[in-house]
Amino acid sequence: MDYFERLEKETHHLYEIANKARSKGLDVNLETEVPLAKDLAERVEGLVGPEGVANRIKELEKDIDRESVAFEIAAEIASGKFELTGEKANYDREQRCDQGLRTALAILTEGVVAAPLEGISQVKIKKNFDSSEYIAVYFAGPIRSAGGTAAALAVLLGDKIKEAIGINDFKPIEDEVERYVEEVELYESEVTNLQYSPTPEEVRFAANHIPVEVTGEPTDQVEVSHRDLERVETNNIRGGALLAMIEGVVQKSKKILKISKKLKLQNWDWLSEYSKPKTDDSSDDSSSSDIVTEPKYIQDIIGGRPVLGYPSEKGGFRLRYGRSRNTGLAAMGVHPATMTLLDFLAVGTQLKIEHPGKGNCVVPVDSIEGPIVKLKNGDVVKIKTIKEAKECKGKLSEILFLGDMLVAFGEFLRNNQPLLESGWCEEWWIGTLVESENFNKETNTLDLNKLEQGDLTASEAFELSEKYNIALHPEYTYCYHDVTIRDLNSLIELILKHKEEYDPEKGLELPLSYQKRVLEILGVPHIVRENKIIIDKDHSYSLINTLKTKLPPLKDTMEAVNRVSSIKIKKKAPVYIGTRVGRPEKSKERLMRPAPHVLFPIGNNGGSRRLVATAAKKGSIKIDMARRICTNPDCKLTSQNSICPYCGAPTEIGKAGIKSINLSSMLKKASDHVNIRKVDEMKGVVGMISESKLPEPLEKGILRAKNEVFTFKDATIRHDSTDLPLTHFIPKEVGVTVEKLLEMGYEHDCYGQPIESEDQIIELRVQDVVISENCANYLVNVANFIDDELVKLYEMDSFYNVKEKSDLIGHLIAGLAPHTSAGVLGRIVGFTKALCCYAHPYFHSAKRRNCDSDEDSVMLLLDALINFSKNYLPNTRGGSMDAPLVLSSRIDPEEIDDESHNLDIFERFPVEFYEKTKDPLKPAEVLDLVDNVGNHLGTPEQYEGLMFSHHTSSIHAGPTVCLYKRLPSMKEKVDAQIELAELIRAVDQRGVVEKVLSSHFLPDIMGNSRAFSKQKVRCTKCGSKYRRIPLSGKCKCGGNLILSVSKGSVTKYLDISQELVNRYPVSPYLKQRLEIQEYGINSLFESDKSKQSSLDVFF
Amino acid sequence: MTNKILLKFAKKGINLSPSAYKKIMEDNNPLNLTSSIIVKLKGDDYKSKDLVSVSGEIIDKIKGELGLSKSSEEKHKVSEKPLVDIKKTKKPIEPLINTKKSKETPFINKKENSTKIKVEKTPKKIEPKKPASIEDSKRESDKKEKYTNEIIEEASEKVSDTKVQFKRNLTKSNVEYDFKIIQDTSKKSYTSGEIENLISYFQSRYEKLHKILSKRPELRTAQKVADIEEAQTELSLILMIRDIRTTKNGHKLIEFEDDTGTIPILFSNKNEELFREAEKLVKDEVIGVIADKNGDLAIANQIINPGAQRIAKKEMDFGIVFISDVHIGSLTFLEDAFNRFIDWINCEYGNEQQREIASDIKYLVIGGDIVDGIGVYPNQEKELAIKNITEQYNEAARLLGNIRSDIKIIIAPGNHDASRVAEPQPAVPEEYAKALYELDNVEFISNPGVVSLDGINVLIYHGRSFDDLVMDIKDFSHERNDLLMEELLKKRHLAPIYGERTPLASELEDYLVIDEIPDVFHTGHVHINTYRKFNGIHLINSGTFQTQTEFQKIYNIEPTPAEVPVLHKGKYKHLKFI
Repeated sequence: MDYFERLEKETHHLYEIANKARSKGLDVNLETEVPLAKDLAERVEGLVGPEGVANRIKELEKDIDRESVAFEIAAEIASGKFELTGEKANYDREQRCDQGLRTALAILTEGVVAAPLEGISQVKIKKNFDSSEYIAVYFAGPIRSAGGTAAALAVLLGDKIKEAIGINDFKPIEDEVERYVEEVELYESEVTNLQYSPTPEEVRFAANHIPVEVTGEPTDQVEVSHRDLERVETNNIRGGALLAMIEGVVQKSKKILKISKKLKLQNWDWLSEYSKPKTDDSSDDSSSSDIVTEPKYIQDIIGGRPVLGYPSEKGGFRLRYGRSRNTGLAAMGVHPATMTLLDFLAVGTQLKIEHPGKGNCVVPVDSIEGPIVKLKNGDVVKIKTIKEAKECKGKLSEILFLGDMLVAFGEFLRNNQPLLESGWCEEWWIGTLVESENFNKETNTLDLNKLEQGDLTASEAFELSEKYNIALHPEYTYCYHDVTIRDLNSLIELILKHKEEYDPEKGLELPLSYQKRVLEILGVPHIVRENKIIIDKDHSYSLINTLKTKLPPLKDTMEAVNRVSSIKIKKKAPVYIGTRVGRPEKSKERLMRPAPHVLFPIGNNGGSRRLVATAAKKGSIKIDMARRICTNPDCKLTSQNSICPYCGAPTEIGKAGIKSINLSSMLKKASDHVNIRKVDEMKGVVGMISESKLPEPLEKGILRAKNEVFTFKDATIRHDSTDLPLTHFIPKEVGVTVEKLLEMGYEHDCYGQPIESEDQIIELRVQDVVISENCANYLVNVANFIDDELVKLYEMDSFYNVKEKSDLIGHLIAGLAPHTSAGVLGRIVGFTKALCCYAHPYFHSAKRRNCDSDEDSVMLLLDALINFSKNYLPNTRGGSMDAPLVLSSRIDPEEIDDESHNLDIFERFPVEFYEKTKDPLKPAEVLDLVDNVGNHLGTPEQYEGLMFSHHTSSIHAGPTVCLYKRLPSMKEKVDAQIELAELIRAVDQRGVVEKVLSSHFLPDIMGNSRAFSKQKVRCTKCGSKYRRIPLSGKCKCGGNLILSVSKGSVTKYLDISQELVNRYPVSPYLKQRLEIQEYGINSLFESDKSKQSSLDVFF
Repeated sequence: MTNKILLKFAKKGINLSPSAYKKIMEDNNPLNLTSSIIVKLKGDDYKSKDLVSVSGEIIDKIKGELGLSKSSEEKHKVSEKPLVDIKKTKKPIEPLINTKKSKETPFINKKENSTKIKVEKTPKKIEPKKPASIEDSKRESDKKEKYTNEIIEEASEKVSDTKVQFKRNLTKSNVEYDFKIIQDTSKKSYTSGEIENLISYFQSRYEKLHKILSKRPELRTAQKVADIEEAQTELSLILMIRDIRTTKNGHKLIEFEDDTGTIPILFSNKNEELFREAEKLVKDEVIGVIADKNGDLAIANQIINPGAQRIAKKEMDFGIVFISDVHIGSLTFLEDAFNRFIDWINCEYGNEQQREIASDIKYLVIGGDIVDGIGVYPNQEKELAIKNITEQYNEAARLLGNIRSDIKIIIAPGNHDASRVAEPQPAVPEEYAKALYELDNVEFISNPGVVSLDGINVLIYHGRSFDDLVMDIKDFSHERNDLLMEELLKKRHLAPIYGERTPLASELEDYLVIDEIPDVFHTGHVHINTYRKFNGIHLINSGTFQTQTEFQKIYNIEPTPAEVPVLHKGKYKHLKFI
């Protein structure tokens, strides 16, 4: 059976179980509330409707592209051409416009993100002052989740709708235009920076020309001075509208202009003005460009997150092109030995990087270059395994080189960053050999694999280079470009001087002298014994045969080396990538604070731990909630069930209000129902945040508490992990048996061989996931909870019957990312020790995530189907984000975020590619030399036959927990950070200390001491907040008030900063800044009186 | 010398044409001229292309504007009113603020506002013509209109570029001072940062202002919120503002409180005069309210500010100079102008009349930000000439040390000084300003602080709270900080708004309440000179000795550098050193 059909069949089975459970009438609805959607069209219908639109979308998709479909649908719904049915049949013109825009926006955002629901608050038909009608689109904050282009398209959609229903353009008056100008300025000064800061005239120009009113709800408590405008309902900043106008229309003007032309929308030609070069005031710009700006990643250095390399500094990570089975989609490979050595890099730890892009996630790849280190005894060692790394750790004196960073070509493509020069690496070398005129594939007797891995002697390497007329093998090529000709000549002199003692069988022995540093920088391994530098025979051979005589005085070291060497020497590491540690990896169950077992309101009766049993001891309590009322006029019984437990008639939700309930008897009843006595650990919530305020059955809480699982605001149980990509797995590493794999429908490995052993490399199916072990352990509890629920609450058969985590393999889950409202169906295939969730790049992309440290959740599918209800969701803006409003059952790469289309899927770059990287070409210019998913969309190859270029023997080698998380205090973290700064050659220790102070600790201290003197107060009893303490000094509820910014938060980094200033040579400027802050803090916290009186004692 | 001059221009990105360079070098004080030209070029309406290479004509033009004649023969002529040229380019003065007849204009606001409000009632429903390009969308309004203070215009004169060698007063003079510190909160910080301190701080504010307000006849019968009776229809209350909201219909609904309870009171926009007053109310100030009560709804009739009653005129036979925001240590500190200022105060610079004024000066008040400080804002390091706070104060001491010793110098801290950020700020600590402390004619005081200078009471407040008032009250601007000062006096509080831009320390007593009405209210902080007399009180903002900063450029704030207000025998004088 086909993979997708198999998944669907199992999904349907779970829907049947869930619907049967729901039909018992113990829940809000009689059916599961997560509609199933096979494709984008169905997702759109499930998410925003209207009924029947999926078919129309599919019909249109046959002839026109997705964007055109969206605009056509918008026009059809708005104009009434598409007939609305069901409860929407009576929609008026305005409501139809609203519906049309939402549906179209959902199509444009792949029917995944919450923007069509949450980002648009309404669409209205309003009047110009000449009394013609126009369209106004009201944006809300969550439009952010749609991204700039989609937000701008929402504006364009408004224009399309306007056209479809034949009304006029929006004609702003001067005050309204100026209002935008002011709002943009205020937003940037009071709220946050926009991605693009427009000039006032740019804003004015856009505001004057956009033919739709871009407006919205107030998002921030900041008032404008252009108040009380007739057509603008609020005097506060309209954050959503500004995002749509600035980060949307203005910032993406080029793209939007292109789309508007394609869609033949008039009135948008003015956008071309934005791409015109700026005419005046260029003098200001040129003067500012003189200042060399630091790359973003290094501008802020945070305490405890070490810098691993200064920008392009020698000894940092070397750029290596390629993709392993666990990289791509912003995850990049690092040698596990480097990870072990640094201790701050675990699988899934985020790095902020110099290029390409801004950040990535680190994963172990062991087929690339590891670190080169100098030990305390002077030995310089190339580390190739984790074991070696562990042995060296205590003996380190310097980390000379961090090793490679494996970066997929797709990363450059995604960020549209010019290519950087490739270092001289084995796969390039072998490419040149195979392409050599003197190479004959037929008659070849060389073991190419062995050669590629560097398994050859230096003399063999030289012979091959001569025979095939190719550059010297990378193993024996050193970083000549990192030293000056003078330094290199001093080394050559030393070598020449001692050449006579050179024994080709033993290697070079040189006296210990300053030239050792040159060897270290070149990256030549050597040892130091009895004051002698000993270089092994192969490296000696290479050095002596490369550096035959003294170098001529040229400009460039590489040129000079090639002048004296008979064999071509290439640049080993032309590009080093600067990095610093970002966010640590994560894999943790999702807990609200405090974490409830059940969405049942108990007010403040449960104490600070919100214990239901404690509240029940009070007998009858008053609670704001709703109950259900039987619709049978003769019965009218109130209960919590959707079917009347007395007469069996359907019930309806009653009005919410303060009710007096006998919690004690309810608890006893629930406890009897599921036959569990132990209920004292069950925690409820203070109040319901939903509009209906209908609580969950207490039984569910009892069972959750029993199984030690907690619920989220939507009644599902979640586990969050960092996202990582995986395209191939080895059964053994993820803990799945051959038998089980065959059962799940896997047939062959990635080379087409039948699966017989647990060591084969198998291509991952696109919806299969490898979850972390701690996620698995939690899901075991969840599975047990669901079984309990089925058996004890719904009186059905148990389903999962899971005893240990391996029993979970093959079961279905739903993946769901924040800011989205569509779950993606997945299936568990195995487990990883790493704290992350490895899944196919498509799976992450379907959730609109990439792998630069994004995290999201998984839940057991049956849990979502049985327990989720929209009724629990808060009615506030953003409330329906991160909720499974629809389940997407099948991943079609064409219907997911196109970031995944950049994924490299080939085994090897052609030699031509490497050669082309010398020039800073745009990635699009070399697309003909690479193969990626984008080339195979719509063909069977989009699902199968994706390959990788660099193997890795384990996807969870190296540390699994970043040192940042293991060290308990900030002091220890910072100490470790500074220690590392001292070890790594590519990092300036003093710079790190100063930057930590100036970009983290000092701003924190200053910010908090300022905040201290402006702070709000909070009630300990009811939680009310006051901007300023009331004159009475008490809360209105009579409770005690406490400070919201504590003394501790002002002083928390004071001690550690003082210690840094005392211990390291930081600039006097920083030292004084700290002193002044200290003076200010003392003045705030120490009474002059007490100082005096303590002195009085002595007099 | 040559290098120094060229470097100065280069630093500002200005290139000189050979003719311009020649013209500058011909002057008999090229260094001074250079600074003046730079300020002019940067400050006035010169386009960047004018700066690419400054022509000789521009130099002539500037010299003309500065009152420096083109030829050197005329140089020693004293030009009393050199600013005619500039005046012409400025907007005509609005008739409403024409203060020629009476220099005190206490009711300006009312009239001015009433016309403004009317304009807003009928919003301009003009559809702007769609501009064809982004360029066309540029607006004059992006640059703020420049307001001209008529009194300053009249009182101001450029100190003439005449240097007379007097003997420096090296020996201590026999001048008698009647100098008293009336309020100084330094070393009286009794807070320990506990919540109880916060409670007593606001209670102190309420009590102090309650005491002032309860003397008002309308409020003699003021009651507490808790004592309001159900059937009562008239209310007279003394209240602190907790929250201000605007209702759907555009009324103001203000939530008030006293120590016994809270009460919302509606300020209807139908009652236009009252509504205009209500628009000036800010959070956390204390006022008296007379209101009608109908059931649960209270509608305000009258707002009673603590107010500042007219004070009697005091005789004064000496002079006081007010400066602030000198920003020593900053790259943009106008050292040359400041040196001229010191030469003048030493009676060694300016024309005879001007030197005579100088000889009457007894006191120099410095209202904060004497140095630029360190780490006040991100990346400040790049804009500092002196990156060490102690050295900044040393430099300040070196400069102020040149002032004749018979002038008493009073220094209060500002937000750039090495003090705590929260107000009240203790005096600049000796630890950093040791060199200044060693000068024996210098006195240090807190911010705010009150001193009596031979009987003239001066309230010194740096002016941080202006930032809050400008944000919260419609129609207020940094430029018109005379109006801000007046408003603070009426509110009898220097920084009423809590929790926004001005950090307030929870001292047990609220030292920011204006207990006594001073004769002079001196502020700084915004770098824009203002002067006005309000109910007999001299309101003085002393400007700056720093050119426009990057920050001010972004916000279109035009500073008034090197202009110094002097209170000379009770009369306002305004001297320009550029």
